Amino acid sequence: MSEARRDLFVGLILLACAAVAPLAFTDRYIVTQLTLFFIWAAVVTQWNLVLGIGGIFSLAQMALFACGAYGTAMLGYYLGWPLWLAMPASGLLAVVVSMLIGLACLRLRGPYVALLTLAIAQVIYLMIINDTECFTTDAGGCMPLFGGVRGIGRFGDLGFREMFGARFVIANYALAPALLVFAFTFSVIVIRGPLGLAFRALRDNPGYAMSRGVSRFRYQLWVFASSAFFTGLAGAVYAAQFKVVGPTIFSFTLLLFLLSMIVVGGMGSVWGPLVGAALLMLADEGFKEFQDWRALGMGLVLPLFVVLLPGGLVGLFKRKRTQKAPMTGGDRPIADRGRQENWRRPAEATRPRAQP
Amino acid sequence: MDVVVQIVASGLTLGAMYAVSTVGLSLVYGSLNMLNMAHGAILTIGGYAAYAVSQQLGLPAAFGFLAAIVVGAFIGLLIFAATARPLLKSKNFETNVFIATIGVGAVLENVVLKLFGPYAKPQPLNIPGGVRIGAVLIPYQNIAIFGVAIAMMAIVAFRLQRSRAGRAIRATAQNREAAELMGVHVHGVYAQVLALSGALAAVSGVMISSLATLSPNMGGDPMLKAFIICVVAGLGNTYGAVAAAIVIGLLEAATQYLLGVRFGFALLLLLVIAVLIWRPAGFFGKARIVRL
Amino acid sequence: MTSPAPLVAIRDLTAGYGGLTVLDNLSLDIAPGEFVAIVGPNGHGKSTLLKTISGLVSASRGSIKLAGVDITHKRPDRIVAAGIVHVPQGDLLFADMTVLENLLMGAYLPQAAAEARHRLEEVFALLPKLRDRQGQIASTLSGGERRMTGIGRGLMTGGKVLMLDEPSLGLAPILIDQIYELIDRLKASGRTIVLVEENAARIFERADRVCLLDNGRFVWSGGGAELMRRPELLETYLGG
Repeated sequence: MSEARRDLFVGLILLACAAVAPLAFTDRYIVTQLTLFFIWAAVVTQWNLVLGIGGIFSLAQMALFACGAYGTAMLGYYLGWPLWLAMPASGLLAVVVSMLIGLACLRLRGPYVALLTLAIAQVIYLMIINDTECFTTDAGGCMPLFGGVRGIGRFGDLGFREMFGARFVIANYALAPALLVFAFTFSVIVIRGPLGLAFRALRDNPGYAMSRGVSRFRYQLWVFASSAFFTGLAGAVYAAQFKVVGPTIFSFTLLLFLLSMIVVGGMGSVWGPLVGAALLMLADEGFKEFQDWRALGMGLVLPLFVVLLPGGLVGLFKRKRTQKAPMTGGDRPIADRGRQENWRRPAEATRPRAQP
Repeated sequence: MDVVVQIVASGLTLGAMYAVSTVGLSLVYGSLNMLNMAHGAILTIGGYAAYAVSQQLGLPAAFGFLAAIVVGAFIGLLIFAATARPLLKSKNFETNVFIATIGVGAVLENVVLKLFGPYAKPQPLNIPGGVRIGAVLIPYQNIAIFGVAIAMMAIVAFRLQRSRAGRAIRATAQNREAAELMGVHVHGVYAQVLALSGALAAVSGVMISSLATLSPNMGGDPMLKAFIICVVAGLGNTYGAVAAAIVIGLLEAATQYLLGVRFGFALLLLLVIAVLIWRPAGFFGKARIVRL
Repeated sequence: MTSPAPLVAIRDLTAGYGGLTVLDNLSLDIAPGEFVAIVGPNGHGKSTLLKTISGLVSASRGSIKLAGVDITHKRPDRIVAAGIVHVPQGDLLFADMTVLENLLMGAYLPQAAAEARHRLEEVFALLPKLRDRQGQIASTLSGGERRMTGIGRGLMTGGKVLMLDEPSLGLAPILIDQIYELIDRLKASGRTIVLVEENAARIFERADRVCLLDNGRFVWSGGGAELMRRPELLETYLGG
């Protein structure tokens, strides 16, 4: 079966396992952690598209996540929108914001994008926590427009309690894996589909790709905006699940955590983000005793993996596979006549100057 | 009039401080194509090194300053050895080294946090008192910072233009392969540039903390500002970056006075985005023609 | 030609980029003072050969020896110090430096720096245009001036072997004449020269030896006059 189909098949199996998990683990804490896993995994599958496939060095991913989270919270809190309406709406909001960011940044070279997106995220964060004017007041006291340091809570409910009675916990739980399914499916479609191919072409041979009409800017904008939708949706689910949204989602440690998931798993691969997410959340659990060293550990993970294992764990797995089949990859010391055919240029009047 | 004097005085001080840290960043990007995201951490460590030497060891201020320079240079070399050198042969060097230095920066900041604790401390390298111009008091500290910054940049500029090592750095930045063919040991140049950048970052850390306070995460915002300055000037253009730093320092002083600290950064950012839309290669940057 | 020990001895050299092999088991001897021309169709490894010798590209197999010393895996700056000067294709000038600064950069190595003033005068004598333009920024030069600056820079480095990669590329015929006049004078002064050229016509009378490189291998080597008498080779490899 095609690669995409295989990926989706495996994904479905894993989903089935995930779906029955709450029946096995009734501990609230584990359910919460699993929910977080699904949400973060959804975010990193999208961030992986932006970084690894689109080649866009954006650090604004959590700002887009925040659009979804804060959007949902604020639509619910200020306008009383039901969550089922607020969630997709805030996903669209994330798309709009991402397009604005993209239009401003994407025509620039890589490092500019990184710095600008970092700056944009930082400014949004500062605006939220430095806003001390009370927009309204509620039972808790002064409430700045974006919730300030306290955050926004009490913005509505998913309504599962009414629908399912006592079983509402399961329904609640199901939202996060459902999100991951959509996000992951989308990422598979992009990576294995024509867009993924276009980006690989852009990376390996930009001149040729561009001469064939592949516009890097338009494709990047497309990837950026569409992955923003699912990222925003992840933020919305986060808001719906945890019922409070605050500026902690902008924390640099969290950004580092998510970036580590992608690096450890393997940037640009289909399964990398999931593998990375699972591993890092497990590691985080395991090292819970050493909370103090958490940030240090995460900081070390990045350079270690980037230097020693740039393809991540998925890359390592792929390398082990191709080593068993010497005809499919690696260096070949003896010149291959067949491969050289395509750049043999017999006497022609107009040879392109393609001297390596 | 007094307002103007105040703004100019603060602005020049800020600008000079930013210029010191920006020069290092710009050189590193120009020669290595590397965005050193650990820059902010080195800045922080510089401030704390000066603190440790003068406060905890009781040595005079000059030693603290010197300690910052030495520690900064050392960390710069460490970053070269641990991240830049092993990654140079990789395909996505820029991206990889960016991520790796983000990690290194986080580690360094955490080390500082562990050693010195999370609470803000005053920076002892401080000169009390000031001079009066009209109704405005200009602190000696500001004048000292400005003077030291100008001196350091003059030294760096002189070394870049006149010394053999400086020529090697400039040549490597302009054309690495050609430099190698002239007999320049390119890895040596990279190590020197990172060490220099580290030393400058540490110095700017001492300066910034002397005006505010020392805290483990003090490096983040100045680093971001330094990068933004480089971007506005055009990545790799070191002299332009110095000019941009002064301009941004003045602008920051002006907006702080007129609008309050809160909007300073946001306004700066909007300005940068506007400049980049108008001139995608930065103010003084040249749109490089990509040879395919 | 082979009685004195070769200055440059290349054996079974294999090199390439990534997984792609460009040079395939090449062997070549260059005697001191010899003028060797490497010709052949584009994209078949001529530039790669020079880059492998000067160390910009690493060899995966084989060896390169200069005056008996193995330089195969040395760093480019060490190879220059050993005495091989590579004037690359496309000039690769230091764009923001003046002509003079570019030339002086050629004398970066300590052994060259000691002779810098002297060599500068020699270069100006050979290429008088450079003296006129010495204060001009390299990025503002014309094509011919850049080429001369590049070659002049290479001459400043000194060295035992001078390698030139397509010095006539993109130049008008009258400039090409000047370049070749310069090359004639360099040869007359006893320099060992390796020249890569696509424009084979001017090579034939000048070179002591012409080597035809096709698909990463030498398919023929001999005197320039000989090659002129082999129309089938000219036809197949050099477009007549």
